[in-house]
Amino acid sequence: MEYVSPEGLRLDGRRPKELRQLKAELGVLASADGSAMFEMGNTKVLAAVFGPKPVETRSQEDDKRCLVKCEYAMASFSTGERRRRGKGDRRATEITKAIRNCLEQTILVELMPRSQIDVYVQVLQADGGTRCACINAAFMALAAAAVPMRDILASCAAGYLESTALLDLNYVEDSGGGPDVAVAIHPNFDDRVVLLQQDNRVAIETFEEVLQLAVAGCRAVGEFMRQRLLEHTDALAAAREAGQPQEGAADDNEDALDEDDY
Amino acid sequence: MAGLEQQPLLTDGHRRDGRAYEEFRNVFLNTGVISQASGSAYAEFNNTKVMVGVYGPRQSERKVGYSEQGRISVDVKLATFATRQRGVFGQTPEERELSALLATALEAATNLASFPKATADVYVLVLEAGGAELAVAATAAALALADAGIEMFDLVTACSVSRAEGALLLDPTTDEAAREEAGLTLALMPACSEVTQLVSRGPWSSSQLREALELAMGGCAQLDALARQVLKTAAAEAATRRQQEAQRQAQQA
Amino acid sequence: MASPLISAAEVQWITAGVSFNIRNDGRQREDFRALSVQLGVITQATGSARVQLGETDVIVGVKAEIGSPDPDRPDCGRLVFGVECSPVASPAFRGRGGDELSGELARALERSFYPGPSGRAGGVDLSTLSIVSGKTCWVLYVDALLLNIGGNLHDALSVAAKAALADAKIPKVEVVQGEDPTDEPGYEVDDDPQWFSLYLYEPDYEVDDDPQQAQRLDVSRVPLCVTVSQIGAHSVVDLTAQEELCSSASVQVAVDESGVVCGLTKRRQKGVDPSVALEMVEVAQRSAAKLHAALAESLGGQQAQQMSVG
Repeated sequence: MEYVSPEGLRLDGRRPKELRQLKAELGVLASADGSAMFEMGNTKVLAAVFGPKPVETRSQEDDKRCLVKCEYAMASFSTGERRRRGKGDRRATEITKAIRNCLEQTILVELMPRSQIDVYVQVLQADGGTRCACINAAFMALAAAAVPMRDILASCAAGYLESTALLDLNYVEDSGGGPDVAVAIHPNFDDRVVLLQQDNRVAIETFEEVLQLAVAGCRAVGEFMRQRLLEHTDALAAAREAGQPQEGAADDNEDALDEDDY
Repeated sequence: MAGLEQQPLLTDGHRRDGRAYEEFRNVFLNTGVISQASGSAYAEFNNTKVMVGVYGPRQSERKVGYSEQGRISVDVKLATFATRQRGVFGQTPEERELSALLATALEAATNLASFPKATADVYVLVLEAGGAELAVAATAAALALADAGIEMFDLVTACSVSRAEGALLLDPTTDEAAREEAGLTLALMPACSEVTQLVSRGPWSSSQLREALELAMGGCAQLDALARQVLKTAAAEAATRRQQEAQRQAQQA
Repeated sequence: MASPLISAAEVQWITAGVSFNIRNDGRQREDFRALSVQLGVITQATGSARVQLGETDVIVGVKAEIGSPDPDRPDCGRLVFGVECSPVASPAFRGRGGDELSGELARALERSFYPGPSGRAGGVDLSTLSIVSGKTCWVLYVDALLLNIGGNLHDALSVAAKAALADAKIPKVEVVQGEDPTDEPGYEVDDDPQWFSLYLYEPDYEVDDDPQQAQRLDVSRVPLCVTVSQIGAHSVVDLTAQEELCSSASVQVAVDESGVVCGLTKRRQKGVDPSVALEMVEVAQRSAAKLHAALAESLGGQQAQQMSVG
C-alpha cells in the first residue's frame, strides 16, 4: 500500500506534518465533576473525572499526596470490526497505567493529601492514536473539574513510513508496520516529556526526527486545548454575568471558575 | 422429530399431549424434601421438575451493607441435563435473568421487614425443563419459603399462558412455547389478588392481554388451592409426628 | 451500583407532588423529559444514535457483520444485543461493577425484539437479513453504552436502539455463482471498505462502489419500551433517578406503533392489583404513542438532512 503519494499527500489527504482535525467539548456529562469529549479525526474519546473525594480504600490512603485512579474502556462498537473486549485485558491495563502515570505527573497531588481522584476514559471510536486522545481528554476533564495542575498535558503520536516522518497516525497508517512514537509533554516546562512510548524499531537519527515531529504535534495540540479552555471559561463568565446558568454547562463548572480565579 | 415440527399443535380442541386448552399438566407439589434446608419444596408438572431449597434468613454478607429490610437472594440453576441440549456449568445470562424475575415475584409476598439485616437464600434447581420453568419455580419457591417459616403476606402461585395457532394454552410445554406467537407468565398472590410478576413476550393486543391474564389468574387460583392443601397436610403430619414423639418420651420416662 | 441515598422527607415530597400531578421538574405524571436524538455519532458503525432523555445519556452503535444463521431459523438473520456500563457514568461501574445491570438491560432489549417462531413477528423482519439460506446472513450487533445514569434507562435504551437501527445502512450483497459450479457462491459487496478483508479470499468478489445501493432496515414496527411506575397510588412515566427511589412497583412495557404490547416485565419489590397492572399497560400504550411520534419526527428530520447532504 502506498502511504504517501508522489505529491506528498497521505491516504486521508493530509500532508505528512499535519494533524487531524481536533475537536474538544467540555462538560458533556451531567453526573461527573468534570468531563470532556476529545476528537482527533475519527478517534473519539470521552473522559470523566470524579473527585477529589475521600479515599475509598483506607489502606491506600496517603497523607502526603492524593491518589489518582484510572480506568480505560473501549466500546464494543469503537473498532472497525466489532469485538467485545474484557475490561481487564492487557492492552487496557497498559494504557490505563500510561494514562495514570501522565496524570500523576501533571496533577498537583501534594495539594490534596488523603484524597482520591477517579479518571475514567471511554473510547467511543478508535482510529489510531487512542492513547494520545485519551490523555488529552483526561486532561481536559480534569481542567473542567478544576483540579489544580502543573501545566497543560498534551499528547500526540508520530510515525515513520516510506522514509517520511508522519504526524498523528490514523489506524491504517498505524498498522503499516512502521514505528509509532507516542509522546506527552508539558509545553510550558520546556516541552518536558511526560510519556514516551514506541513500537517497532527505528534508526536513532530517524527516531530523533520523529520525536521532534511528535513534540511539535503536542505543542499544537496543547495550544488548541488552551484556546478551548479559555473559550470555555469566557463562556462561563459571560453566563454568570448574565445571571443564568449556561445551557448544557453543569453548575459544577461555576465552581470551577471560582477555583480558576484564586 | 422433523415430522412433528410440521404437524399442528392443536387438533379437535385438544393438544398433542391430549390436554384441553385450559388444562394443567399433572401437577405434583411437595414440601420438606431437603432435610438440611430451612425449607424446601419440589414441584413437578409432567416434564418440568423443579427443586427449591431455602436457607436462612441468616446474616447478610458484610459487603452488601446494612439494610432495614431483609433480602431475598435467588439463584436459579438449570441442571446441565435439564434441557435437550446439554447445558453448561456456571451461570448463564438466561439463569441470571430467571433469578432476577423470580426474586421480584417473591419479594412482594414476603414480609421483608421481619428479618432486617438478614438474607434468605433461595436456591432453585431445575432438574428438567419441560416448559413454563419460571412459573413452576415461582410456585415451588413460595412453598419453600412458607415451609421455612418465613413470614409471608400470601402464597405466590404462577402459571404461563401461550398464544399459539389462535388459541390460548394454559401451562404450555417447551414444544408449544417454541411455536407460540406470544406468551406470558403471571405470578399472583391469590388471596389478596396482587400481581407480583408479569412477563410477556411477543405481540398482544389489549383485549388478548386481558383475556390471557384472566386465564392465568384462574390457573393461579387452581394452583393456590393445591398449594394450600399441601402445606396443610405437611403441617398436620408434622403435628402428628411431634405428638408421637411426645408420647414415646412420656412412655420412656 | 451503590444505591443513592434519599431521605424520608424527600420521598414524602415527591409522593405528594405526584398525587397533585406536579413533579419536581414541573412535569405531569404522563410527561416525558426532553428527548434528544442524534444519528450517526459513530461514523465507523453501520448505524448509531446518541439519545439523551433528561440527564440520561446513552449511545447505541450497530455493527453489521456476516455470520451464520441460527440453525433453528436458517433463513433469518440475527440480532445480538449487548449493553456496557461505562465507568464514565459512575465510579460504581469500575471493573465488573456494571455487569449485573448490563445483563438485565440487554435481556430486556432482546425481549422487546422477540422474533417469534417464524422470525417475522419481531420489530425487524429478520428474513430480510438472510444472504444464503442456512449458510450466511447478516448479524447485527446492537451494542449500547451507558454514559450517564439519570433514571429511566430502559426507555432511553429502547429509543436509542430503534434510532440506531433506523440509521443503519446495510450494504447490498449479491450472490454470484462461481465459475466452477461446484464452488461455493461468492459475494459481492457494495461500498464499505471495512469488509475488504472478509472477501479477499472469496472466488467471485467484485465491488460495486455505489453507496446508493446500501439498504436501510425497515424499523417501523420496532416497539419502544415505556416503563410505568407506581408512586403512591398513581402511575407515572419517565422517572428521574430520584423518583425511581420512591417507586414501589413498575412495569416495563414494549409497545409498537399500532399500540400492540410486544413485551412486558414487572420490576421492583411490591405487587400490584391486576386491574392496576392493566391500567399501567394502558398508560404505557398512551405514552408510547407520544414517544413514537417524537422519535419519528426526529428521525424524519435528520434522515431528510442526510439525504440532502448525500
